[in-house]
Amino acid sequence: MENREGIPCVELRNVIKRFPGVTAVDHVSFKVEQGKIFSLLGPSGCGKTTTLRLVAGFETLDEGDVLIDNKVVNDIPAHKRNCSTVFQTLALFPHMTVEENIAYGLERRKFPKDEIKNRVGEALELMQLSGMGKRRPSQLSGGQRQRVALARSLVLRPRILLLDEPLASLDRKLRKEMQTEVRRIQQEVGITFLYVTHDQKEALNISDTIAVMAKGRLEQVGTPNEIYETPRTMFIADFMGATNIFLGKAIASGGREVQLESEDGLRVIALENKNIIRSREIVGISVHPERVDVLAENTDLEADNKFRGKIAEMSYQGDFTEMKICVDQVGRVITAHVSNEPDQKARFSLGERVLVCWGRHSSSILVG
Amino acid sequence: MAGLRQRVARLLMKQAHLPYVGPVALWTFLFVIAPLGIILYFSLLSVGPLGQIVPSLTLRNYLGLFEGAYAVILLRSLAFAFGTNVICLLIGFPLAYWIARCGGRWKTTLIFLVIIPSWTCYLIRLYALKTIIGHTGLINSILLSSNLISSPIDILYTPFAVMLGIVYSWLPFMVLPIYAAVESLDATLLEASEDLGATPFQRLITVTLPLTKGGIFAGTIFVFIIALGEWLVPLLLGGAKVMMAGNLVEHYFIRVGNIPAGSAIAATITAIALLVVYLGIKLGGQEVLERVT
Amino acid sequence: MNVSSMTNKILPTLSTLVYIFLWAPAIILVIFSFSNNRFGIKWEGFTLQWYFDVANTPAVRDALIKSLIIASVTVIVATIAGAVIAYGLYKYRFRGRGLLRSAILLPMVMPSVVTGGALLIFFTRALHIPLGYLSVIIAHITFSIPLAMFVILGRMQRIDWSLEEASMDLGADILTTLRKITVPLLLPALIASAALIFPWSFDDFIITYFVAGVGTTTLPIYIFSQLRFGATPVINTIGTIFIVLPIVGLLLMHFLQKKK
Repeated sequence: MENREGIPCVELRNVIKRFPGVTAVDHVSFKVEQGKIFSLLGPSGCGKTTTLRLVAGFETLDEGDVLIDNKVVNDIPAHKRNCSTVFQTLALFPHMTVEENIAYGLERRKFPKDEIKNRVGEALELMQLSGMGKRRPSQLSGGQRQRVALARSLVLRPRILLLDEPLASLDRKLRKEMQTEVRRIQQEVGITFLYVTHDQKEALNISDTIAVMAKGRLEQVGTPNEIYETPRTMFIADFMGATNIFLGKAIASGGREVQLESEDGLRVIALENKNIIRSREIVGISVHPERVDVLAENTDLEADNKFRGKIAEMSYQGDFTEMKICVDQVGRVITAHVSNEPDQKARFSLGERVLVCWGRHSSSILVG
Repeated sequence: MAGLRQRVARLLMKQAHLPYVGPVALWTFLFVIAPLGIILYFSLLSVGPLGQIVPSLTLRNYLGLFEGAYAVILLRSLAFAFGTNVICLLIGFPLAYWIARCGGRWKTTLIFLVIIPSWTCYLIRLYALKTIIGHTGLINSILLSSNLISSPIDILYTPFAVMLGIVYSWLPFMVLPIYAAVESLDATLLEASEDLGATPFQRLITVTLPLTKGGIFAGTIFVFIIALGEWLVPLLLGGAKVMMAGNLVEHYFIRVGNIPAGSAIAATITAIALLVVYLGIKLGGQEVLERVT
Repeated sequence: MNVSSMTNKILPTLSTLVYIFLWAPAIILVIFSFSNNRFGIKWEGFTLQWYFDVANTPAVRDALIKSLIIASVTVIVATIAGAVIAYGLYKYRFRGRGLLRSAILLPMVMPSVVTGGALLIFFTRALHIPLGYLSVIIAHITFSIPLAMFVILGRMQRIDWSLEEASMDLGADILTTLRKITVPLLLPALIASAALIFPWSFDDFIITYFVAGVGTTTLPIYIFSQLRFGATPVINTIGTIFIVLPIVGLLLMHFLQKKK
């Protein structure tokens, strides 16, 4: 089952899927590398689940091609494609035990009984569920149910595992634990994962590659670092939390530096990087709140982007404090996340006048 | 007096349900339980030569059921109950499944179209069926006039007609609980089953049927019990040739006036019905009770 | 939905056949009630003559009145009783609750012959009451209470009961609360159960046959007695009314509900 170098495990070529009144998947193309976790990230209604179901075979596409291992699978029904799905609701069979659930797919493929027993035992161990075999899903905790659902699919050794927001129903703490679990399991098994989520933090945590979708279209594909540090469009910047967005026109660009004059007259500087599509127009610059430094007003410091203003809002968030600074004369609000580490020198108060600044490396160029 | 009022007030507070539950409980005991008890009592008596009740307990009526014509009738009732049940299942399950899974927006309309006929007068519906299958009825008229047969075929007054009539009358009551069960089935379970490689047939056997068996058993119990005690269908569609247990009961109670004999048969039917309910709940699970009630 | 292509064609065909099977006899009856033919079912021209005949038959009018009276009384008593018992069962937990519920529902599950016969014997041999209006009404009520209870209990799940508590919190005693809050809340359920009970009682034949005795001829019993003489257009006519009226009533109720 080894994949030749360079051949993507899953590929979509210009796929279009329409429902009455809406184009759910609009000219989507991407390649999923073998053995990695590839996430489809976006708000609800963006088409990520539909895309997943197109790969799984539960929906038929209108145009384009879906390829698995370089073979077009458009007309191949779901149960004949070599992929397995973990559903959002998990869909564990309530009338069967954990063992019977996990064995289900193997039995349908007519595996011999001892082989089934072996594989089920292995799976239980891998998922740290040994001893739970004879229980029913209703007797398990949320996390345990997740693992049974994963085991049920993985035991079939599919080429690709499709996961549709599998952790959506878990509380925050459990979800973080399970995210680590998912990564661990994937690395042990080595199977390609196609993962759908609406949670940016989750995607950043577990993915090797993220594809951000909005309104049926693919907005950007990249590593978590790329998506976070250099979001390409306003939508992605906002979605990933880079909430300081300056829309405007590029006025000068010498070398790799880009200067933008925002609509409200501020001058912002950013640095180009390889992700910029040269042919598209630059429409703005964004910066993450935690990259914005807040200093005392009369601090003498050289910085690419430096503005003065008053702290209009402060909100304690535990590990950081969110501050909203109203910039002088223009009235725009810049959001900054200031760490609450004990050795922080400056402590600010509401209404105080401060200096906000960040370097060109922290800015991200947005294209239209 | 104050003591009594206090005691009543305290009783009402502890048993606050009494004013609501009491009257109907009393009514039920009086007009549901007691009559069944009376039947049981009478079934153990016998009739003297002048038709009067002989007040000595005997099992003669029950023993008489196992011989001759009576045994035949009882067995026939059981056979019909079983046979029509199978037919209703074979027809009713696919229909209920189709409406629930493929009905879409028309689901409610479709299921109503199944149920509405059973809301119209039972007697009239059987009469309508009878006129269709008779010698001068629609079916024979069509067959004769298109020269497929030379003389009218006997549909009416045959066991087939009785089975037809029972299925015709009670099919909706098999469809409804099955529909409810299929409808409440989690669709993602079926998708998961398919995703894991099950063919539609395997999906039916391993997932759909086990999860809908509550509804299936509920429908089965209902049709079986009703068919067992049928009287009108064998009367109208079977004539004198196809007698069932219900006809015997009516015969003894109303025409002949032999109450002990009729009571014995009624009690036997009741006993079988209760046995069927018990077995159904045992095999189908507690859910069956909820679906029936 | 992912249904294999084979069942995609078989299921709809089978279903259509079943619908035809269930509806054909009734539809044919309705059609031929307008036929100008005295016997059998050969179409010989449209006529309303049979309807006029029926309207002018005193026996039919009497039977109709008897059925209406019995059904009306049954509806009122059974709906109230059903509501009361449903309330009690829904709100309170007590010993024997499940048993009582099963006992009340028993008549719905038993064959009519058994329950009708049992009531007949009970009335004549135990209670020694004469068979007539009283016996029929008692029997009908006994069978309608489970129906009412079933419908009303079903709807009780969707009611906001905190309104009762709010009422008592604001100072109303229990009787006032029942009158001003509970009953209006239950009204749709009461109407629904009345809409089910009335046709049931009006249409009922078997149980009525057993407990009616001589002289209490409801409409279904009248029809039965006419059946002994073979098929007549009168039966077709009354039958048509029996079929068409509930359907019309249903549609009306459905559209009235939609308007709300």
